[in-house]
Amino acid sequence: MLKVENLSISFQTDEGMITPVQNVSFAVQAGRTLGIVGESGSGKSVSTKALMKLLPGNSRVSDEARMTYTDKAGREVRIDQLRPKGRDIRRLRGGEIGMIFQEPMASFSPVYTIGNQMIEAIRLHQKVTKKEARAQAIAMLDKVGISNPVGRVDQYPHEMSGGMRQRAMIALALAARPALLIADEPTTALDVTIQAQVLELMADLQRDLGMGMIFITHDLGVIAQVAQDVAVMYLGTIVESGPTADVIRNPRHPYTQGLLKAIPSLDALHDRLSPVPGDIPSPNERPTGCPFHTRCSQRLQGLCDQQLPPTVPLGPNRSVACWLETPEHRTGAEVDAQQQIKQQEPAQ
Amino acid sequence: MTQDVLIEVRDLEVCFDIKTKKLFRTEVQQLRAVDGVSFDIRRGETVGLVGESGSGKTTVGRAILRAIDPTDGDVIFHSRKRDVDLAHADAKELRGMRKKMGMVMGEGAHSISDMAHDLLRAFRPRMSLVFQDPYSSLNPRMTVRDIIAEPLIAGGLMRDRDQIDQRVREIAARCKLNLEHLRRFPHAFSGGQRQRICIARALVTKPDFVVCDESVSALDVSIQAEIVNLLKDLQDEMGVAFLFIAHDLSVVAQISHRVAVMYVGKFVEYAPTDSLFFKPRHPYTKALLSAIPQADPDATFNPMRLEGEIPNPLAAPSGCRFHTRCPMAQDICKAKVPEWRELAPEHFVACHFADEAE
Repeated sequence: MLKVENLSISFQTDEGMITPVQNVSFAVQAGRTLGIVGESGSGKSVSTKALMKLLPGNSRVSDEARMTYTDKAGREVRIDQLRPKGRDIRRLRGGEIGMIFQEPMASFSPVYTIGNQMIEAIRLHQKVTKKEARAQAIAMLDKVGISNPVGRVDQYPHEMSGGMRQRAMIALALAARPALLIADEPTTALDVTIQAQVLELMADLQRDLGMGMIFITHDLGVIAQVAQDVAVMYLGTIVESGPTADVIRNPRHPYTQGLLKAIPSLDALHDRLSPVPGDIPSPNERPTGCPFHTRCSQRLQGLCDQQLPPTVPLGPNRSVACWLETPEHRTGAEVDAQQQIKQQEPAQ
Repeated sequence: MTQDVLIEVRDLEVCFDIKTKKLFRTEVQQLRAVDGVSFDIRRGETVGLVGESGSGKTTVGRAILRAIDPTDGDVIFHSRKRDVDLAHADAKELRGMRKKMGMVMGEGAHSISDMAHDLLRAFRPRMSLVFQDPYSSLNPRMTVRDIIAEPLIAGGLMRDRDQIDQRVREIAARCKLNLEHLRRFPHAFSGGQRQRICIARALVTKPDFVVCDESVSALDVSIQAEIVNLLKDLQDEMGVAFLFIAHDLSVVAQISHRVAVMYVGKFVEYAPTDSLFFKPRHPYTKALLSAIPQADPDATFNPMRLEGEIPNPLAAPSGCRFHTRCPMAQDICKAKVPEWRELAPEHFVACHFADEAE
């Protein structure tokens, strides 16, 4: 339902041009969840904001970027060609593509009640009376598990606790019945028990409404539980993507491998954690070649630090951007390994 | 890990007065943020403290450091020479002690005293604090060298510039900071590096005890792993004890020797890490553990359903505070506060049904 190809975004800053997103391509299918995972500064939020045309004025989306969205009526819309303040994108925002932000307090207006804000969103996209919209809002609050929705609908955002606000935020995003939901770190600020509730709720609603979803987070544990597909981002490029279970069981990119090893696990309590060595480079000191080569333990001198690795397909929907996985290098490595085995055999 | 107790907390209570302005009068309500907490921390050990937001875990950390005054109870610091009751020390005594302890915070900590060197020799217990947000806890106008040196100067521990420089460089090297960067300002550093500066600042006085309040929560996983490893190494080298406050259970499990679980101002369980994570007794601990999403596609994610939200501490439930959300709650839970008892060696729990909970 959504296809993004060759998306690059650059910002004009005081220190020159920076490009936080480079050549990113991904697709979302109806009823499925795409997880985007990466450290801070990897460009995961920026690339989804481009989908809603919510980027600030000093940004530029590359000309070759294509963002194609198939709306509820089955028409194809080229988001990249829409004007950011035009009528068409405003029809998409909320009505077709809903968005949940990380900080629910910052995304509600403090001076209107939750109900007022939901009624406004519903009436923007549906031709209903205020009374009907209010009934819908109450039903939606009930659906997201807010107790006493009839009373809560007239409360202001500050009267709710963090978990409840986040659920109200989900209710607001879903009130206009979007076909695609973009959730940007929706559970990061919540406690684990509340997080579990919200994740369960989102999975239930997705099943009921058949939405497509993009779930942005830095927590691979959450990704493993909610997303069917995952894209791992590092410094603005997707380094690995594929079905979640496959990527987590058999990570092929050294960065994904490092990320998985760095997660503290209850199964290995007394083992030392193994962090990915080094720091994430700052966006204005982007390394040449593979963006990860400065921290990669398996880098190939003269190749990884000079040339951008190609995206190697590994199977249906599965790909990795790494020189180690290219056919030439793989066969080379296998030949080397076989030679080593042969050399060892006679000695035994 | 040695077995001798460093800090002993007995029936600690912290109340805040909440004032609400009504039309003609001001209503004062008492919020019991910490309500009768007892535990101890041994020399060179890490105690993890977990709980949801609003459970009072930060207040426990602050009260131990006397950054806020406890309403009741004792915090006893077992120095090698003599025991000191921090909760009862009066202002004058506390001012002297803060200097001796090289505490980073507090109104009395910023004057330089001639007495410091004598007192330092007589008295070496020290504690300090590492905050959550490495962006807002470093003064942007001070160089890294000055930031790290400040506790030494504020505590009156050292006055000689060369001596201070030497100590700063020593601790910075231990915290894996580049020594050439000491002249830079904090804005030039990434989150992980800043947190290392904060750790260096907390450890420069060679304290016996450091409170880490959500110190890795704001960091990315790979940097988080790096800081956890660094804290472990520094503990091995310097024998410092940590109170590690966090809401992320898997990080706490990784770093702590013992873990305490807090719920609305009270401890519900306190046990060695393995015992708490693999044989939890309290239903709240079980609920928390079941809610951690594991990065394993084979693991079944089936969080225990807790009804409702954390109760407001202004109107804490009667009896066991968890009874409003507990799936096992009986009538006795509403009526009677469960006893804090040692079910297995070192495994403390407050639940009427902890024996059956297995």
